[in-house]
Amino acid sequence: MSKPVLTSLHQALRKSFQCLENNQKVWENVLAECSPLMVSLGNLAEQSTALSNVQISNTPLRAFPDLEERLRFKLLQATDTVLNKLSEKMSSLQSVRDAISNQVSAVFQLYEQSTDSLDLLTVTERSAIAPSVADMLEWLQDAERHYRQQFLRRKTLLQTLRADNLSLLESAPKRWKSLESPSAEDNITDTLCKVSFFMESP
Amino acid sequence: MEGESGDITVTSANRKGSAVTGSARKIKDNAADWHNLMLRWEKLNEDGFKVAANVVNIRGSPSDRQLAHESSSPSLSSSPAELQNECRKLQDIVHKMVVVVMKMERLLTSQRGIQDLEEFQFAPEGRKSPLFHTWNTKQFEELSQVLLDAFSQELKLKQTILQELAHTWTSDLCMVYLSCWLHQPFIPPETRLTLEALLLETGHRPL
Amino acid sequence: MKSLRLLSVDPSDQGSQRCRLGPGLMSALGLSLGSPLLVSVPGGSCLCTAWPRPDLAEGFLQMDLKCSSPSLISHPCTHLDLDPGQLTPVPCLKLKGVKITVVVQSVDFRKHTPPRLIHELVKDMLKGVHVHNKYVINLQDFDTEIKYVVIESINPESAIAGYITSKTAVEITGVQTVRHYRSRLQKQHTVPLGGLEEVSASLREMLELPLLYPRTLSSIGVLCPRGMLLVGPPGVGKTLLVHTVVEEVGASLVVVRGPEVVGSRPGESEAMLRAVFEQARAATEEGPCVLFLDELDSLSPRRTGSTAPENRLVAQLLTLMDGMDQSDHFLIVGATNRPDSLDPALRRPGRFDREVIIGAPTLQQRKAILSVLCTRMPTCPSVDMAELAQRTTGYVGADLSALCREAAMHALREESKGSGGQAVGMKHFQEALKSVRPSCLRSSLGRTDLSPVSWEQIGGLDEVKLRLRQSIEWPMRYPEAFVRLGLCRPHGVLLYGPPGCAKTTLVRAAATSSHCAFLSVSGADLYSPYVGDSEKALAQLFRQARACTPCILFLDEIDSLVGSRSNSQTPNSVQTRLLSVLLNEMDGIGLKTLERRGTEKILQTEGVEENHTQEQLDCQEVSNKDVMVVAATNRPDCLDSALLRPGRLEHIIHVPPPDQQARLAILKACTKSMPLSVDVCLEELVAKTELYSGADLENLCKEAALLALQEENMEASAIKHTYFLRALSKMRPSLTAQQIHTYQTPPK
Repeated sequence: MSKPVLTSLHQALRKSFQCLENNQKVWENVLAECSPLMVSLGNLAEQSTALSNVQISNTPLRAFPDLEERLRFKLLQATDTVLNKLSEKMSSLQSVRDAISNQVSAVFQLYEQSTDSLDLLTVTERSAIAPSVADMLEWLQDAERHYRQQFLRRKTLLQTLRADNLSLLESAPKRWKSLESPSAEDNITDTLCKVSFFMESP
Repeated sequence: MEGESGDITVTSANRKGSAVTGSARKIKDNAADWHNLMLRWEKLNEDGFKVAANVVNIRGSPSDRQLAHESSSPSLSSSPAELQNECRKLQDIVHKMVVVVMKMERLLTSQRGIQDLEEFQFAPEGRKSPLFHTWNTKQFEELSQVLLDAFSQELKLKQTILQELAHTWTSDLCMVYLSCWLHQPFIPPETRLTLEALLLETGHRPL
Repeated sequence: MKSLRLLSVDPSDQGSQRCRLGPGLMSALGLSLGSPLLVSVPGGSCLCTAWPRPDLAEGFLQMDLKCSSPSLISHPCTHLDLDPGQLTPVPCLKLKGVKITVVVQSVDFRKHTPPRLIHELVKDMLKGVHVHNKYVINLQDFDTEIKYVVIESINPESAIAGYITSKTAVEITGVQTVRHYRSRLQKQHTVPLGGLEEVSASLREMLELPLLYPRTLSSIGVLCPRGMLLVGPPGVGKTLLVHTVVEEVGASLVVVRGPEVVGSRPGESEAMLRAVFEQARAATEEGPCVLFLDELDSLSPRRTGSTAPENRLVAQLLTLMDGMDQSDHFLIVGATNRPDSLDPALRRPGRFDREVIIGAPTLQQRKAILSVLCTRMPTCPSVDMAELAQRTTGYVGADLSALCREAAMHALREESKGSGGQAVGMKHFQEALKSVRPSCLRSSLGRTDLSPVSWEQIGGLDEVKLRLRQSIEWPMRYPEAFVRLGLCRPHGVLLYGPPGCAKTTLVRAAATSSHCAFLSVSGADLYSPYVGDSEKALAQLFRQARACTPCILFLDEIDSLVGSRSNSQTPNSVQTRLLSVLLNEMDGIGLKTLERRGTEKILQTEGVEENHTQEQLDCQEVSNKDVMVVAATNRPDCLDSALLRPGRLEHIIHVPPPDQQARLAILKACTKSMPLSVDVCLEELVAKTELYSGADLENLCKEAALLALQEENMEASAIKHTYFLRALSKMRPSLTAQQIHTYQTPPK
């Protein structure tokens, strides 16, 4: 009796996993583009630190009185450029997150609308080719949470950087790298594997 | 500032297509030369930076302070011969930079010549209508002067770095040298704008 | 339904707000996937979304504490069994708006992060969370500096819980650090203070003034006070006072116990002290702050001439206190029980501006403390706080709390035996009074174990008893009568008379009946081989006695203690020096500022009628501020005449050897517990015991009883008259007629 409802829910789930799969790739690509930017950010911070540590007037560079000021300006400018590029990347990440969030909340909404005709037995029923609705909704939620967490952590890291706090800038690449959570990414890949039969079934 | 190297302004087609002659012709050619020289400078600067980074790395400073990771050769065989080799390369590059700046000086001289000719032809207040769009001849000379000043100062810095780099032991100072080489503090970002304005005025770039 | 076993949350569910339970239970509760569910556990509750367990097993419950009541944050529940009835589905509609407080990890983050960014991040974090009004949202799974969000209110207000969407308006009312938030959470369990109102008002004023009227203070050019020194004996509640007031005001507290900052390496202590000040300065970013230096005397002892490491520490403390400027809105409170050992430089205005002396509690204060302590105990209505307060002279707050605990223990013990009720009654307190002694009398020289002696236990001597009551008991118990008649209470009483005539016992009876502390000291207690030690000990004794007034200080055998200046061989002997100490103390010269107690109350003769008992207690309080010195001697001639002039030992009472009537009374009292045979004629014994002292008579009874045992082989059931006579024949009276004659003339 709940067949048509279940079918449409399955359809929505398929669409969601498709969306997840596509966006997972986009996410990985964007992150890959970020790492060299983070490295140069760290480098620039290191250079600024070195400049602060050196007393120019005690070096052969004393012949260039305005050198420090000029170099500092150039470094700041370069840092700005890198940060701008990074914030562009963040917008791409945000759109990935939003796409997944919207998809997941849409499918969840669809489920909530049809709870009357879907009892718990139906939604927890697993078969050889398809995981239960409960499982799949849970996986989608987990994935959505993962991307939300990842995005927020990275955003917080970038937004709390300050040009005047060199040690914060210098440690940024390391902290950026530590935010990676391969296990969670693997979980998503696993999930996509688990639903592969389901995706192919009509 | 790097990139855009495919943009060779002075093509033969370009030269033929424009029917300008005399001072205007000369000024337009000068502008194209400025563009090319600056491109060449950028190329030399890039090469020079890689060599300079090698010098610092070979000298055996800790590997974690490789400024340019893309250029770092992991083989840190610090043989004096290799070091000498790299230093010579750097010397060559600086020498080429000297040549570039010399050519820039020549451009300025030629610009002065045009200016002198103009003052001779017209009154000291210059010609009535501009050669191209809005600039008078004097402005071309002033611009060239600004560009030349920047590059000659930068050249002096590069020469200092060349002399000191291999003899510097404090890692912070090495880092500052490399940083200076890479970021070229005496060539401000306006330089690029100045050149673009020049190219626009002379008609190399479509308005 | 069977109970649920609560398991810890699965790591993969951390931060998901899920609550895992069996699908059967979910159906029974009418829940679908992700339905909001309120779980009540001991100590709090938690809002979750329901999900079936992956293995679909029933009987277990796992929940993620994403949204829980604040109490669960500090005390998360562990393994326990839950009744399914404790799960309640809650409707959660989309919220229009929430007002929140954000709790962040570090002060740095709070200071440097623009509010717009915090708002943006928090809004993102809260999206999709089910929230309950007044609950705390745990955001630690995001692994950022933002740790918690407290839901202050939700819109619509009719709902208790709801769901946050991207359209929900999030308003941040404040940003706090975790440290500050946790200390605020702990505030719920405060101990009320009794009897410290004045001091706490003073402290509160110092904390609140700069906070409430910062402009006014700066406009009238007044520098707010920055330091306060609490002085008082151990156990009066200095530390508790600071903790309580700080919590009431809502200030944060940085506590330094003196020994904690003292490190072994040179310079370490100073660095630690600086770090502490820095910490306090950082805490002021979030509101008022108190830096509390407990046991200040150990931190900054009086500087000595040598270059001791303590000198550097003291200097550092002085520098830091001087270095505080007006922008540092924190207050330093020091506490010590040895103000004299502090470096004097610390005690000048600008450093510790105010010194507040908390003495041992007065009668009224003790009553207040007791009522506070007893509010949380089930007490019988028979328990009379006023009487208890009267009987606990010299008890400080800590003692009183120990007393209540002991009384409760007695009640508990009785209850476990099945013989008593639940409530703590007066008898339990009386029992406890025996075992808990005032701490200011501990480690004291004077013996204080006072087994109660009633006047009836002393036979005869009615006239002496009367005079003693007049000079000791009356002023203690009926001070208003003394005031009415303009009478001054005596400062001291001297009992003289032949040895063995119950002088000591009389004093004990007087102390018992007047319910005051009793310190007794004899010469041997005070003697010390070191020069000056005896004098110090005597002064100390007086100080202790003053700390727990009303108090009777009993100097037994005073002749051996102080002697006389006139007939002393060496004019500078210990005894002469002790005498001068004694004279000084009795005149009240040795009084130290530290010993001040309460505020000076002005005695009013006309009082308001309805408040009569109160008046009476106050009256007792005021009139009995001094120590009553009672001395006893059997050689009054050896005493220095200076001791005997009015204002010192002014009541001089002769305790005569018992006359016939008295001896009869004594014998009756002594034989009260003895089985006498009918032939015993006490009157005959009385006639034969001329010149016998009370002690002799008691001895006589004992001897007679022993004889009875000796003769009748332990089988003796009664003491016959003959035994008394035989015992009498072996004994000699300890008094002589000549001796008695010398006592007839009162000492001059």
